[in-house]
Amino acid sequence: MAQVTKTTVATGEQFELTFSVNGDAGSFNPPDLNDFQLLSGPNTSNSMEFVNGKATSSSSVSYILTPVRVGTFTIGPATAVINGKKMTTNPIKMTVVKGRPVQQQSRSMGGGGGDVQAPRNADLSKSLFLRADINRNNVYQGQPIILSYRVYTRVDILQSQVTKLPDLTGFWNEDVKATGPASFRIENYKGQRYNVADVKQIILFPDHAGNITIDPFEMNFVARVQASPRDFMDQFFGGNVQDINYPAKSLPVVVHVKPLPEAGKPAGYSGAVGQFSVEASIDKTHLKANEALNYKIKVTGSGNIKLLKDLNPQFPADFEKYDPKMTDSVKESAEGVSGTRIYNYLVIPRHKGDFTIAPVTFSYFNPSTGKYVTLTTKSFKINVEKGLNENNVTSLSDDDKEDVKLLNKDIRYLKTGDADLHEEGDSFFGSAGFYLLLLLGPILSVVAFMVRNQMRIKNADVVGVKSRRASKVAAKHLANANKELQANNTQTFYEAVFKGLYGYLSDKLNISYADLDRDKITTALRAKSAKEETIGELLDTLDLCEMARYAPVTQISAQQVFEKAKRIINAIEDEI
Amino acid sequence: MKFNQIKLMFCFLAMMISPALVFAADNQQQQFEQANKLYDKGQYKQAVEAYNQILGAGYQSAALYFNLGNAYYKDGEIPEALLNYEKAHRLAPGDDDINFNIRLANSKTVDKIEDAPEFFLSKWWKGFILKYSADGLATTAIILAFIGSALLIWYFFAMAGGVKKFAFFSSLFFFFVAICVIVIAASQVNYFENNKQAIVFTSSVDVKTSPADAVSTAFVLHDGTKVSVLGSNGGGWLKIELANGNEGWIKTKDVKEI
Repeated sequence: MAQVTKTTVATGEQFELTFSVNGDAGSFNPPDLNDFQLLSGPNTSNSMEFVNGKATSSSSVSYILTPVRVGTFTIGPATAVINGKKMTTNPIKMTVVKGRPVQQQSRSMGGGGGDVQAPRNADLSKSLFLRADINRNNVYQGQPIILSYRVYTRVDILQSQVTKLPDLTGFWNEDVKATGPASFRIENYKGQRYNVADVKQIILFPDHAGNITIDPFEMNFVARVQASPRDFMDQFFGGNVQDINYPAKSLPVVVHVKPLPEAGKPAGYSGAVGQFSVEASIDKTHLKANEALNYKIKVTGSGNIKLLKDLNPQFPADFEKYDPKMTDSVKESAEGVSGTRIYNYLVIPRHKGDFTIAPVTFSYFNPSTGKYVTLTTKSFKINVEKGLNENNVTSLSDDDKEDVKLLNKDIRYLKTGDADLHEEGDSFFGSAGFYLLLLLGPILSVVAFMVRNQMRIKNADVVGVKSRRASKVAAKHLANANKELQANNTQTFYEAVFKGLYGYLSDKLNISYADLDRDKITTALRAKSAKEETIGELLDTLDLCEMARYAPVTQISAQQVFEKAKRIINAIEDEI
Repeated sequence: MKFNQIKLMFCFLAMMISPALVFAADNQQQQFEQANKLYDKGQYKQAVEAYNQILGAGYQSAALYFNLGNAYYKDGEIPEALLNYEKAHRLAPGDDDINFNIRLANSKTVDKIEDAPEFFLSKWWKGFILKYSADGLATTAIILAFIGSALLIWYFFAMAGGVKKFAFFSSLFFFFVAICVIVIAASQVNYFENNKQAIVFTSSVDVKTSPADAVSTAFVLHDGTKVSVLGSNGGGWLKIELANGNEGWIKTKDVKEI
């Protein structure tokens, strides 16, 4: 439901409009309140009650309004979705009557000088207005602009209230803190003298290039103006004044923002505009590993100092680096923003060694010269000694690798005994000795091959070889007979010749000595294709030897028999 | 071990030829044992010195580098220990003790670098050619060649056909195996010559993306890390590669080649 504190109000009077809802209000759409000036709201309040375990909730939305015109107005219905149902409030009829001028006793602002006289019945807008002043309207991106909201007045202001501040989109802004209560000063403007006061000063840093409009600024005043005297008495006492409620509005202001020039823009430029100086310092140059080191960069100057980005100094990659601590001591004044920003970097070297902290380059754009300036700090040499316990920092692991822990394990013990020492660069493989030994075997083989071939060539003289061999065989078998021949034992000589021949034949024909007889010898020799003459001669000699055992042999000498036996063996050797 | 004995035999033969050299080597062996004693007593610095004297005299061996590495390790000088272990590893690639100590010393270094995955065949081949030392393989090849030659000689003089055939084919087999062994030894020597490695000696060193000081740092290495040397620019910079495949440039003075 909708409620107002009163339905009949006078201009300049405040009233409260409240919409209240029992239960959960979903979306709430307030009515159009264009006929009234909104002083405060929407103010929402929610309450929740538990009665006998049952929860009831209610919420209300209220506005404090003041009428601006005389007449009859209707506050339209508000709609809300409550518990899923769409509800509408009843419209309220408001009657606005011309209010009596409010008597304001207190003066909130320092009074107007007596020398400024408001013209009677003059248009108030000529004697009381607002201006938004900027100190320059053609700037570079990031160059500060001072925006001042000023009141120009030729009348007494009893009360003033800022009703709307523009939201200044497109700028990064910084309020200038007022040094005291706003005080009026006298200024000439378009040939008229005005009391002027700065309501507010804001430093603006344009975010982007282009034409940026600063929306109007609005204030509500209660001004005291001279009313036309009704009678003499009024004129005489000068008390015929009227207090008028007057809303004022400044004109919108357009700022032309130029982009920063691309020409000569240094690499790594990060948007600083103004005038700066930079200085780096370090708290120690000799330290142990794992000790902290403070590296400080101090930027001093005026400009968008609060908008400076991290300077990203390059520390040796092995240093552990923490995010910098930034300390600002900045003063905002009507001249702009100036001060100091200190970046404090905490770094911890993890390993011993000599390191260099590379110089930091800082560049800014100087809008007064329209040029970029690049500053470079000193570089620092740092000597890191071995720390007490150097951590094993994994600098190259791609993932969380679990180290294989060898607990209580020591290196394997020394190699003792023969060290097998040899001259450096003299490895056995590839040495002359190696090739020599490697080739020794094959060379021996080749030698052996050649020796064998030689032997083969010799063996190729078949007749010579056979006869040499046969005579050896004969000599072996007839050795006994030869001995008997030398001793002139004829009887035993023939027996030895016979045994010798039989022995030879037994060996040669592979027939046991006991099985040998004439027939077997003949068949065996014939089977081996011995010559018939040789066989016949052999048989004759054997017969002769057998005979000689019983009777003396006369037709042939023992020497001749021996020679014959020898010849037969040789012949058989040749033939078989 | 068998190879060593045979090698000893050859050494003995060599000793006969050059008695002066033998005398010197004997001296060094004494020094080696002296150094081992110092190590046992816990006087690692003195042991390091003694081992280095042998090296300074121009002698080397896997055992010497290994023991020197141990002494450095005990003295807390991990990069030096690793350098000597790796040198020992080159002389005796299949030695378990050396490989174990390399792993253990590596666990004490700062950088943990994961090996890039390797094709299993190339890994297998590498393990195969590095199983035995080149010298051991050389001795084996000589023995095989001798056996093969003996069988060949037997083949030349054998009379009976079956024996002859056996002798011939077994001789061929032994010669073939001998050639294989020589090929393996040669590939091992080749592998070590083509795979130049180095140990980082500076406790923290920036590896650059190109051989200049001013360029950005690719990564940071710490002492004791083994890197493969891919080449050099001739101006005091080496191009290196890590086991995980990252490449960069490092100053020659920051590393020691194995």
